[in-house]
Amino acid sequence: MKLKSRLYAVWLPRLILYVFAIWCLFPLYWIFLTSLKTPVQALSRPPMFWFEPTLDNFAKVIQNPDIWSYFLSSTIVAGGSSLLGLLIGAPTAYILARYKFRGRGDFGFWLLSTRMTPPVAMLIPFFVMFSWLGLMDTHIGLILAHVMLNLSIVVWLLRGFFAELPVEIEEASALDGDTYFQTFWRITLPLAMPGLISVGILIFLLSWNEFLFALVLGDSAVRTVPIGLYSFIGYQTIAWAELSASATLLIIPIIIFILIFQRHLIRGLTMGAYR
Amino acid sequence: MTLAYTMNRRSILLGAAATTLGVSLSPRMGWADSHAAILDMFKSADIDWRAFDGETLVVGAMQHPWADSIESALPIFEELTGIKVTLTKQSETEYVAEMPIKLGAGSAEPDVMMIHALGQFVAAGWAAPLDQFYEDPSLFDAAWYDNDDMFAMARDFPTQPDGENYSMSITAEAQTLFANQKSLDAAGLDLPKTMDDFLAAAIAMKTDMQAGIVMRSKSDGTAGTWPCGGFVFSYGGEVIDADGACVLNSDEAVAGVDMYGRLLKEAGPLGVGNYHWVEVLNDFSSGAAAMGCDSSNFATDISDPAKSIVAADAIYGALPQAGSKPIKANIWAWQAGINANSTKQKAAFLLLSFLNSKPGCALSSANGLATVRNSAWKSAAFQERFGAQAATAALANLNSGDAVIFKRAWFHPKAAEILDPWGIAINEVATGQKDARTALTEATDKINRALGA
Amino acid sequence: MSSQAIKTTTIQREQKKFILLMLAPATILMLALTLFPFLVSLYLSFTDYSLIKPDEVNGIGVKNYATLLNSPDFWTSVRVTLVFTISAVAVQTVLGVGIAALLHHETRQAPWLRVIYLLPMAITPIAATFTFRLMFNPSLGVFNYFLTSLGFPPSAWTASPEFALFSLILVDTWQWTPFILLIVMGGMAALPPEPEEASAMDGAGPFRTFFWVILPQLKPYLALALLFRLIDAFKTFDIIFVLTGGGPGILTRTLNLLAYKHGIEFLSMGYASAIAIIMLIFTLFVGQIFLRRLNLFDLKD
Repeated sequence: MKLKSRLYAVWLPRLILYVFAIWCLFPLYWIFLTSLKTPVQALSRPPMFWFEPTLDNFAKVIQNPDIWSYFLSSTIVAGGSSLLGLLIGAPTAYILARYKFRGRGDFGFWLLSTRMTPPVAMLIPFFVMFSWLGLMDTHIGLILAHVMLNLSIVVWLLRGFFAELPVEIEEASALDGDTYFQTFWRITLPLAMPGLISVGILIFLLSWNEFLFALVLGDSAVRTVPIGLYSFIGYQTIAWAELSASATLLIIPIIIFILIFQRHLIRGLTMGAYR
Repeated sequence: MTLAYTMNRRSILLGAAATTLGVSLSPRMGWADSHAAILDMFKSADIDWRAFDGETLVVGAMQHPWADSIESALPIFEELTGIKVTLTKQSETEYVAEMPIKLGAGSAEPDVMMIHALGQFVAAGWAAPLDQFYEDPSLFDAAWYDNDDMFAMARDFPTQPDGENYSMSITAEAQTLFANQKSLDAAGLDLPKTMDDFLAAAIAMKTDMQAGIVMRSKSDGTAGTWPCGGFVFSYGGEVIDADGACVLNSDEAVAGVDMYGRLLKEAGPLGVGNYHWVEVLNDFSSGAAAMGCDSSNFATDISDPAKSIVAADAIYGALPQAGSKPIKANIWAWQAGINANSTKQKAAFLLLSFLNSKPGCALSSANGLATVRNSAWKSAAFQERFGAQAATAALANLNSGDAVIFKRAWFHPKAAEILDPWGIAINEVATGQKDARTALTEATDKINRALGA
Repeated sequence: MSSQAIKTTTIQREQKKFILLMLAPATILMLALTLFPFLVSLYLSFTDYSLIKPDEVNGIGVKNYATLLNSPDFWTSVRVTLVFTISAVAVQTVLGVGIAALLHHETRQAPWLRVIYLLPMAITPIAATFTFRLMFNPSLGVFNYFLTSLGFPPSAWTASPEFALFSLILVDTWQWTPFILLIVMGGMAALPPEPEEASAMDGAGPFRTFFWVILPQLKPYLALALLFRLIDAFKTFDIIFVLTGGGPGILTRTLNLLAYKHGIEFLSMGYASAIAIIMLIFTLFVGQIFLRRLNLFDLKD
C-alpha cells in the first residue's frame, strides 16, 4: 500500500514532470545538434544523432560582428522596455488595485484592449507616426513601441500582486504621516519587489522575441535578435547550421538571466505568504 | 584552391572578369595591373563617371545571389565614381513586408532597390521611370553598353504597357529539369523529353526511399505558381489573356495544372503540399528525390559538394514537351529599380548601369551569378562556377520562354491577387483535395472578380 | 466648516491628485501610441485605400464589411481561427495548470525544472519555428523518423489536410504553455497554506484537494492567464506563416493571415483594416464577457 501510494504521490508526478521537461527541451536540443553539423549533415536522411561535431558554425558566428550588435540591440530594447514598462505600469497597477474610482473598470478594460488589435492594422500608422516624431530606427522608439504592446500585461499582472499585499502595513505608514506616494514608494514597492521582478522577466522575454515592430521600426541602427536571425533565411537556402549556432549562442545569456532571477521568481511567487 | 602565387579573392575575381572580356593576363601581372585593366574597361565608356563624386547611395536588397555577387564589385564602383554605396540585405519575407510600408510612406531610401512585384511597384508609383536617364548622354553610352548582348527576355521584361522602362533586369533564370543520374541509371531511363515520359519516369523512379519528382506546391502565391506556369504555357494555356481576363479555366491550362498535380500526387514525396523552394532544394540535394523542376539558379547549390550530396550526379535538361506544342519553360528576371522618391536618382542610375554593363556582369558572373548577358554566360569563369551542363540547359530553357504571357500575369498591378488563388488551387490539386478543373474554375472566378472589381 | 471636514476634503483632493498623477504616464503613453493607429484603421476600413494607388482614397461606406461578411473565405478563416484558438488555449491551460500543480509539490530539482520550462519562451521564435519546419519535414525530419522507428506510417504533418491544424497547435502549445505555467505558478505560491493543510487533514487526496480547494482560489490568476493567451492566440501569425502559409488549401488560414494577405501582399489596406476591425470587435466582445462573468474586479464598478 505504502509503495503504491508513494508511486502515485511521488514517482508518477516526477515522471510526468521529467517527460514535460524533455518535451520542452527536445526542439532546443535539436537546434543545438544542428549547430554542430555541417550543412550536408543537417539535411541528412535519416536525421543524424551521432556524428562528428564541428565547431565551424560557432566560429563563423562568433567572428561575425553582426551577432554581437543584434545581441546589444536586443538587450537595450528588452531591458529598456521592461524597466520602462515597470516604471509606468506599477503606479497604474497600484491605483487599480487599491483605489476605487469612477470608470476604474472601463480604464482597466481600455488598457486590456490595447493588446487586442491585430498588428497588421498598426504597422503603417506606426511607421508614419514614428517617422514624423523622428523615432524611426532608434532604440528608444522601439522601446516605446514594446512598452505599448506589453503594458496591459504589466498592469494587470501587477494589479493582482498589489491586491494580495496586506493593506494594514500601508495604513500604518499613512497614519505615520507619509503621503500617498511615500507609502507607495517606501513601503509597497519593496514588498512587491519579487512580483515586480517576475513580471519584469516576462516582459523582457516578450520584448526580446518580438519581431513585427522591430522589423518595421528598426532599420540599420536597430537590428534586434529576431531580425538578425532572419537574415539566415536566405533566398534559396536556409543557413540551418549558422541559424542554429546563432540561436544557441543567443539563448545562453537568456538562460543565465533566468537562472539568476529565478530565485526571485520563487520569492516573488511566495509573496502572499506575508499574510 | 591553392595557386602557385598568392592571390586574394578579389584578384581572382578580377582576373576571371578580365579573362571573360578577352584581356589576357600574364601570371606576372600583379593585382594592381588587373585591377587597373578592369577600371579601364569602364573608363572606356563615354560617361562622366565622376559627376557625383562624394555622393552616397543605399541599395536595398534581399538575401539573394545578386546581392552577394555585387558586393565585391561595389568597391570598384566607389573607386571609379567616388560614390559610397551601402548595401543592405534582408530576408525575402522581411523585404517583401517592409518595402510596401516604407515606400508607401514616401521614404527616400533605399535609392536602388530590388523589385519583387514590378506591376505593383509601377502602379503605385514607387519606381522611377528610367528612359530619361537612358537618353542622357552623360549618364549612358549605348554603344558601350551594348544592349544586344543581353538576353531578349531580359530586355523585354522591364518594358511596361506604357512603353516606359521602370526597372532593369539583373538576373536571368529559367525553369529547368534536374535529375539524379544514378536514379536514372538504376531505372534504365534517360532524361524524359515528353510530358508523358516525364510522368512515367517519375512514377518508375519512386521508391520508399526516394520520391520520383519534387516540385513546389505550398499554398501560397509564390510557391507552385511559377513552376506550374511553365506547364500551363507549355500545354498552350495562358494565365491572363490579351484582354486582361484570367483564363486559367481553359482546357489547356487545366491540362497543364493537372499534369503538375499528377506528378506530385503519384510520384511526389509525402507532404509535398508544403513544399517551397527550400524543401525542393533540400530534398533533391540530399538525394530524397530523383528529379526536380525549378529555377536554374538551384544548379549552383545542387552542384556544390559542400551543400549537396548529389553534386556529382546531378544533370540538367529542358522542360519536357507536351505533345507537339512548343515548350515554354517559365522564365524570370529579377528587376532592380530606382526609388521614385530618391534624391539621388542619376547617381543611382550610374550604379545600376555599372552593374549591368558588360564588365559589370563579367564581375558578378565570375561569382556564379546568372546575369543577363550572353557574354557573361559564355565566360569560362561563369561556366565553371555555375556548371557547364547546367548553363547549357538553362540557356535552352531561357530561350524557350515567352516573356509576353509571363508578364501579363506576374507583372500585373494586381499580380498578388492573381497568384494567390492560383497557388491555392495548385496546392489543392497536388494534395488531392480537388481535381484540376474544379480548383481552377473556382480560382479563375475569384481572380476575375478581383481584377474586375 | 469644521476642521474635520476641511481635513476630509483636503485628503480627498490629495487623493485625487495622487491618483491622477500615478495614472498619467500610462494614460498619456497609451493614448499617444494607440489612438492614432486605431483611428486610422477605423477610417481606412471604410475606404478602398490601396497602397498601389495611395492618392485615390474613396470612402465606400460599409462595402468592405459587406464583402467580407458575404465572402465564404472570410467565414472559413473565422472557423479556422476559432478552432485553433480554443483548442490551443484549452490544451495549454490544462497542461499549464497540471504541471504547475505537480511542480508545487516537487522540491527536488525544482529550480532547474523551472528554468527548463521557461526555455520555449526564451528561444528566439524564428529559430524555433524554422527548426520545427525541419523537424516536421516528411522526408528529412526527425518526427517522422521517430514515427517510423516505432512502426507507424510517416505523416505529412503540416502538409496533410487532417493534421495541419494539429501540428500548428502542437507548436503553439510548445511555445506558450510556459506563459500559463509562469502565471499559475505565481498564483499558487501566493496562496495561503491553511486551506490546503486543512483539506489534507480531512483526509482528502491530493487530486481532490487540488480540484476543490486550490483551483477555485487560483481563479483570478488563471482567468488572467487564459484571457491573455486567448487574445494572443487569436492573433497568432508567425508559426502559421512559416509552417503552412495558410495551407493546405486554406485549411489553416486564420483571420490574421487573411489580413496580412490583403494588406501586405495585395496592398489593399482598406480591406485589411476592415478585417482587423472585425477581429478587434470580436476580441473586445469576448474580453467584456470574460471580465464580467469572472468579475475580475471582484467589486461592483
